[in-house]
Amino acid sequence: MISEQLETIKEQLLAEINGAERVNQIGQIRAKAFGKSGSISALSKGMRDLSPEERPKFGAMINELKKVIEESLSLKEGELEEIELKNKLESEQVDITEPSNIREIGALHPIADVIDRLTDICVDMGFSVVEGPEIESDYYNFEAMNIPKNHPSRDMQDTFFITDEILLRSHTSAVQAREMETRKPPFKIICPGKTYRNDSDATHSPIFHQIEGLVIDENISMADLKSMLTILMRRLYGNDTKIRFRPSFFPFTEPSIEVDVSCPSCHGKGCKICKGSGMLELLGAGIVNPKVLEMSGIDSKKYRGFAFGFGLDRTAMILNSINNIRNFYRNDIRFLEQMK
Amino acid sequence: MKVTYNWLKEFVNLTASPEEVAEKLTSAGMEVEEIIYQNKNLHDVVVGKILKIEKHPQADKLVVCQVDIGNSITQIITAATNVFEGAVVPVSLPGADLVNGIKIQKAKMRGVESCGMFCSGEELGIDENYFEGAGVNGILILPKDFKAGTPIEKALMLDDVIYDINITPNRADCMSVIGIAREVCAIYGLDMRKVNLSYDIDVYAKDTIHDYIKVNVNTPNCQRYMATAITNVKIERSPLWMRARLNAVGIKPICNLVDITNYVLVEMGQPLHAFDQSMIEGQEINVRQAKEGETIDALNHNTYTLDENTMVIADKCKPMVIAGVIGGTNSCINENTSKCVLESAIFDLKSIRLTSRKIGVRTDSSARYSKGVNVANAELGMGRALHLVTKLKCGKIVRGRIDIASVKNEARKIIVSAKLINDILGLQIKPQDMIRILNNLSIESTLAGDKITCIVPPYREDIENDYDIAEEVIRFYGYDVYDNIEYELFKNSKVSEGHHHPRLALERKFRNSLVDFGFYENISYTLVPSDSANKLLLNDNRKNLIRIANPISDEISCMRTSLAHSLLSNIAYNLSVGNKKMKIFECGREYIADSLPLEKLPAEKNMLALAICEDDKEHKNFFYMKGIIEMLLNKTSVEYTLVRSKEPYLHPGISADIIANGKVVGSFGQIHPIVAKNYDVPSYVVYGEIDDDYLSNLVEKQRAFKDISKYPIVERDLAIVVEEKVSAKEILDSIKSSCGKLCYKVELFDIYRNQDLKSQSKKSLAFNIKLSDLDKTLTDEEVNKITQKVLKALSYKFGAILR
Repeated sequence: MISEQLETIKEQLLAEINGAERVNQIGQIRAKAFGKSGSISALSKGMRDLSPEERPKFGAMINELKKVIEESLSLKEGELEEIELKNKLESEQVDITEPSNIREIGALHPIADVIDRLTDICVDMGFSVVEGPEIESDYYNFEAMNIPKNHPSRDMQDTFFITDEILLRSHTSAVQAREMETRKPPFKIICPGKTYRNDSDATHSPIFHQIEGLVIDENISMADLKSMLTILMRRLYGNDTKIRFRPSFFPFTEPSIEVDVSCPSCHGKGCKICKGSGMLELLGAGIVNPKVLEMSGIDSKKYRGFAFGFGLDRTAMILNSINNIRNFYRNDIRFLEQMK
Repeated sequence: MKVTYNWLKEFVNLTASPEEVAEKLTSAGMEVEEIIYQNKNLHDVVVGKILKIEKHPQADKLVVCQVDIGNSITQIITAATNVFEGAVVPVSLPGADLVNGIKIQKAKMRGVESCGMFCSGEELGIDENYFEGAGVNGILILPKDFKAGTPIEKALMLDDVIYDINITPNRADCMSVIGIAREVCAIYGLDMRKVNLSYDIDVYAKDTIHDYIKVNVNTPNCQRYMATAITNVKIERSPLWMRARLNAVGIKPICNLVDITNYVLVEMGQPLHAFDQSMIEGQEINVRQAKEGETIDALNHNTYTLDENTMVIADKCKPMVIAGVIGGTNSCINENTSKCVLESAIFDLKSIRLTSRKIGVRTDSSARYSKGVNVANAELGMGRALHLVTKLKCGKIVRGRIDIASVKNEARKIIVSAKLINDILGLQIKPQDMIRILNNLSIESTLAGDKITCIVPPYREDIENDYDIAEEVIRFYGYDVYDNIEYELFKNSKVSEGHHHPRLALERKFRNSLVDFGFYENISYTLVPSDSANKLLLNDNRKNLIRIANPISDEISCMRTSLAHSLLSNIAYNLSVGNKKMKIFECGREYIADSLPLEKLPAEKNMLALAICEDDKEHKNFFYMKGIIEMLLNKTSVEYTLVRSKEPYLHPGISADIIANGKVVGSFGQIHPIVAKNYDVPSYVVYGEIDDDYLSNLVEKQRAFKDISKYPIVERDLAIVVEEKVSAKEILDSIKSSCGKLCYKVELFDIYRNQDLKSQSKKSLAFNIKLSDLDKTLTDEEVNKITQKVLKALSYKFGAILR
């Protein structure tokens, strides 16, 4: 009798378990079976009516039933959980093209970015970064650079004057003498910064940026200049970059050179940017004129040096394919957002 | 400076092509900026002789000409009226491409074929000064002896190649044909042809130079003055070859004597001046400084009033020439000149530079003098001029010359070291090669051991030492030696440690953070308009704008004293082009003068400025800016407090100054409504700036760990109502002090103002208080006790009530 009852309960429960569709139904079935007034609990209570001989037998049968039901329940529960998770993952989906709620990202100014890059490269090579005043004395800008008053070499630069003796520095070379007066050789310095010339057109801005490099040591040569600039230009414009020297004149270097750099756009083959020549005229450099060393109190018999300088606006123009220098100083957001 | 290929060939036996010569000159440091081919628009133009002229059958105004063009006869139709049978004319044939853009091809004109066109002087690019008849309105009628079929470039001597060369300031000696010729000789290792300086004098004549002129030099600015006299002068056109040369280098031919002076100027680099002797009063030349107020009518039709800084060539009564710059009309060569005094002088370059700049006149003469003409050159120029006077038969040269020189300039001997030259260059050039190069440059050099003895010619004033000689050697040895050699970096020098600049390094942190917060970096002109201080209502020393003496325009005439001007202007610009929302910043300098005019260099303060232009409610932008500033300051060790700002360009109620160490190190806030109006930007724009110099000089941030409790944190939220005038900071400080050492963190998490509160000028503030004890878990009882203490203090101090 009980065994029949037991079989019926078992079948009913198993049928319900099989029919369950959601995880929470499993909980309900479990309560129905094992709860206080659950069907299996009722069976257990019914044991009291059995003879002591029968009890172990039915006890074992009930235990067996419990085990079967419990296993079925957890099996089904696992299955349903898996299905539900699957459904959940399938139904939950975001539009990944919707914008993020993180605010817009800005950008560095291309000239400032070039300064960052150059200073990193030069610091790696053992240069220290220095600065100097933009409002400068005639002495440091010109005279200490071997450009006496009324000398023809003053014609090379159209200078903004404030008084007869105070001017806006026309080149970052103005820091050379300042550093030579205060530092003890050997040293290597670079100075990025603003420079000013009375000149304004599509390729000239009255305010522009230069970087100056100066190395003073005992055995410096033009060959050191060549290897240093080769590394610098390769790190800036790519590993296949070549540089070429041409004679030139600066009052503060002797010999003086112009440095041509293979065009990073066409790799020397010739294009619009390099006007077909394959090379761009980018730097001025040379061996520091011993007169300049002596004027700043450095023994030119013992020490020698090289110096180089170039325009950063031009560098930023080449690196970012910018065609007009005026873009740099208008600060139009539509220009700057392309510099991200 | 312009020189021509044919002119160079007069001094050098050149066989290389014009293009090759240009390339070699450039690689030796004489940069050829442009090669101009004179005959570019003259191909397919020849000399023709008109044999027969007939009326055009269909047109009254046209005639049909049969023209001998050397190897054939061709038919040309013209409307020109100055042609005649037998006339020799320039004929452009099919294929010609004239300077005015006309391209010639065979064409039928009213049914009759025309195989070319007769040319005017203008169509050949020449004028009356260059060739007689070239200026007439019509066809250029050529001399009868011009042979039909001759290419016009040959017939008119327009077949030269012109180089425009950029001469560096150290090479004033190269501002002449002869100077460039010397370089060409050095390039090719050729000898220079001797300059012909011979001339004829009537040795039996009794008169001498002293019968015509007396010279007094009364100024130190004249280093040499040479004068000669020429009588029986016949003023006429100079020969075509001379006009051709002058025309090629852009000088207008005038008449024989004047052309000679210009020819020598270009050829020898020696400016000359020719006077009409009869107009020199008292027959004396006085080289002196001008007297204050003296005037001169110059050849450029201007009258100049002079002062004692200007050197003049005067006669007994009047200035005749502004020395070295420009001649006067009162004594110049004219068509009636019969006697001439020729001057070849050397003037101090500084004096000429000052005068030329002061009166704003730049001539071929002043251009040479202001770069420096060597004292020895005066003699070369005079000799060459007299040679040309003889050659052109323009007069009789009088015996004797005047030569007053205060400076001698002779060849100098210097001794240099071959090893040092190689050390400078980082190369191993054989000393013999150095000697060869130097000798080619006319620097006579001999080698003894390591020492090279050089005899430097007087015109090479730029050569003084080993470095100068090293440059001469490498210029001609060739810089291409460096092209394909890889050198070890700083092989022979000491390794050094590189350091970033402390301020630039800090600014880089700031800049990168700001970019991540959506800011765009700006770089603005540091030169600003003269009204910028007023527009910003500045009232301290930032009002003292440092002004440029020679500005391009008022827009960029003064150094900025506040970055606010730059950023507000940039916002205005962006708004004007339709960029409505922006966050921008700039790292840059403010230039602050204590007093004006400047007597010493001013302070240059490095600032970081930022601005936000975004529509605003509830002063959201102010607090956003505050957060950004706090974020930036957190990168430094600065300890600061905020007080209401005194910056005149900020809204007094919605702004703060950052005070550190008793000093204002920054400010931020909404801009003053008047400033907003001045810059045409919305009044909700917020601006901030911090002093990067101050911040980068602080010590690095120091951190010291304090023990954290292993027991859990207990939290309480507390909302109170206080009057508006009580600041958030006062309440926060009070809560912290009430909690004492158990205080872990207190945060203001909500501010609430409803109509009711507003009407009472009150606000509700909600705080989250986190408490923690190092030694135990806090009990409810303990926490409640503290909360009561907090409330009691708030109520007592600020009349706060619990909400």
